[in-house]
Amino acid sequence: MDYLIFSFSLMLVYIGLAQLLHIQFGMAGIPNFGVVGFWGLGLYGTGVLYLTYDVPLFIAIAMASLLSAAAGYVLALLVLQRSGQAVLAATLALSAIIATLIVSEKDITGGVQGLGTIKFPFGDMDGRNIVFMVFILIVVIALVWLSAKLRDSRMGRQLVAIRDNEELAASLGKNTASTKRWVFAVTCGMMGVLGGMSAPLHQFLVPYQLAPSLTFAVWIALVLGGKGHNLGATVGVFVTFGLFDILIETYAPVPAEQAILLPNFKLFCYGLVLIMIIMFRPRGMLGEDKPRVRARPAQAQGVPRET
Amino acid sequence: MFEARNMCSGYGEMAVLKDISFSVKDEIFAVLGANGAGKTTLLKTLARLLPVQSGDLTLDGSDVSATPAYSMPGAGVAYVPQEGNVFPDLSVLENLSIGGRTGHRSKAEKLDEVFALFPRLKERRSQAAGSLSGGEGQMLAVGRALMQDPQVLLLDEPSAGLSPLFVDTLFTSIADTRRDRGLTIVLAEQNAVKTLEIADRVMVLSLGEMHLLRDRADLSMSDITAAYHI
Ligand SMILES: Nc1ncnc2c1ncn2[C@@H]1O[C@H](COP(=O)(O)OP(=O)(O)OP(=O)(O)O)[C@@H](O)[C@H]1O
Ligand SMILES: [Mg+2]
Repeated sequence: MDYLIFSFSLMLVYIGLAQLLHIQFGMAGIPNFGVVGFWGLGLYGTGVLYLTYDVPLFIAIAMASLLSAAAGYVLALLVLQRSGQAVLAATLALSAIIATLIVSEKDITGGVQGLGTIKFPFGDMDGRNIVFMVFILIVVIALVWLSAKLRDSRMGRQLVAIRDNEELAASLGKNTASTKRWVFAVTCGMMGVLGGMSAPLHQFLVPYQLAPSLTFAVWIALVLGGKGHNLGATVGVFVTFGLFDILIETYAPVPAEQAILLPNFKLFCYGLVLIMIIMFRPRGMLGEDKPRVRARPAQAQGVPRET
Repeated sequence: MFEARNMCSGYGEMAVLKDISFSVKDEIFAVLGANGAGKTTLLKTLARLLPVQSGDLTLDGSDVSATPAYSMPGAGVAYVPQEGNVFPDLSVLENLSIGGRTGHRSKAEKLDEVFALFPRLKERRSQAAGSLSGGEGQMLAVGRALMQDPQVLLLDEPSAGLSPLFVDTLFTSIADTRRDRGLTIVLAEQNAVKTLEIADRVMVLSLGEMHLLRDRADLSMSDITAAYHI
C-alpha cells in the first residue's frame, strides 16, 4: 500500500514536470533536455537545507526552487537566443554537471553514499504519506489549470507567437528574449518545487536519482500525449508511468524469473509506441489545441461566402 | 521620418547594403531591385532587425541605429515581412490582436476598419492563420500592421505570389490607406509597373548599392530598367 502511494505520488510529480515541459517546449518552443537537473537542484537543495541546516521542509523547498529558477535564468541568459540545438545541448550538459557536482561535493551532498532521512511533514500523524500525496495532487492540478489559463492569456499567445516566428514577434513590439528568459526561469523554478516535494517521497537521496532517464521519461510522455495540447502531458504520463510502473509492475502476474526483464520490456514498449506515434500521429495522442476564439461559420451568420 | 546617411548593413560581419543615403518623407517610397538586390535587407534594417554596421539611421531626428526591434512599434513603425509574416498557430483574430496595443484608438475600432478593408479576414477570423491561402495571409499581415496605427508602414513585396487581380486590389487599398490616414509607406517591390502607379518616389537597388533615387514624375520605365542592370 505504501509503495502504491509512493508510485502514485511520483507519477503526480512526473505529470507536473511534463506539464512544465509543455509550457517550455510546447508553448514557448524551448527544448529543455535538462529537466532532471532543475528537478534535482530542488531535490538536493531541499535535502541539504532540511538535513544540514534544519530549515523547515516547506521553506527548504521554496529556497531550493529559487536555486533552480536562478540556474534556469543564468542558462537562459547564456544560450536562449541561440539555436534550438544549442539550447538542447546546454540544458543536457547542465543537468550532467549538476549530477556530477552532487557526486563530487560529498561534504555537502553526501556523495554516492547519499543523504537522508527526509521525513514527511505533518509530524507523527497516521497516513502522512497520503496527506502529502494529496498535497502534491493539489499542486499538480493547480499547475495544469494554470497552464490552460496561460494558453488563453495574452502571455500565452505571445509565447506561441515567439515560438512560431520570433523575429516577427519582436517587430510587433515584444521583447522576446526577456519574455523567454523569465518564462524559462519561472518554469525551471517550478520544476525545482516538484524536486523539493520529491525529497520526502524518496526520503533518502542518492545521485542515481539524477540520471537523465527522468528527462527522457518526461519527454516521451509529452511527445506521446501531444506537446501542443494542455492535457497531452498528463495523458502521456498515465500511458507510460501509470501503465507500466504502476499497473503492470504492481498487478501483472509476472513470474519472478521474468520480473527482472520488465524494465527492459518497458523501454521496448516506450520505443515502439513512440515510433508509432511519430509515424501515425506526429502531434501526439491528443493532437494540438486549436485557437480558442470560435465563431459560427460565416454562412450561419447570413454572410454570403465569396467564390 | 527615416533618414539614412552612408548606412551599411547586413548579416553578421558581412555587409550587404553599402553606403546607402536617403530620406523618407510623408510619401509612398518605393524600393525596387532584382532578386538579391538588398530590398529585404533594407526594410529589415529599418525595422531594426538587422544591425546598422556603419553610418547613421534616424527616425524623426532621433538616432535609432541601436534601437531594438521591439521598440519600433512604439515609435510608430510597422513592418510586414516578405515571408513568414503571420503566426500560423494563432487564429486570424489573435494575429490581428497581438500587435494592436500601440496608438490611442480602441481595438474594436481598428478591427472594424481592418475588416472593412479585408472582408475575407472577418469571415475567417477564428481560423488558424496557418490554414489561410497565400493571399489571405498577405491581407492578414497588412491588416495586423494597420492595427498598430503606424506612422510608417514597411511593406516587403506584398504582391509576391498574388493573382494579378488581387495585386490591383491590394495596391488600391495601400494607396487608399495612405490617403485616408496620411501614413508613410516604404514599399519594396519587384513589380515595377504596378509600383510606379502609386509611388511618389522610387529608389532602385542593385547588388546592395543605390543606383537611382528620383521622383516618379521625373522617371521613365527605361531609367528603371537601366538601373536594374547595372
Ligand atoms: N540571412 C542571410 N544571411 C546572409 N546573407 C543573406 C541573408 N539573407 C539575405 N542575404 C544576402 O543578402 C543579399 C540581399 O538579399 P535580400 O533578401 O535583401 O534581397 P531582396 O532584394 O529582398 O531579394 P528578393 O527580391 O529575392 O526578395 C543577397 O545577396 C542574399 O544572399
Ligand atoms: Mg526580399
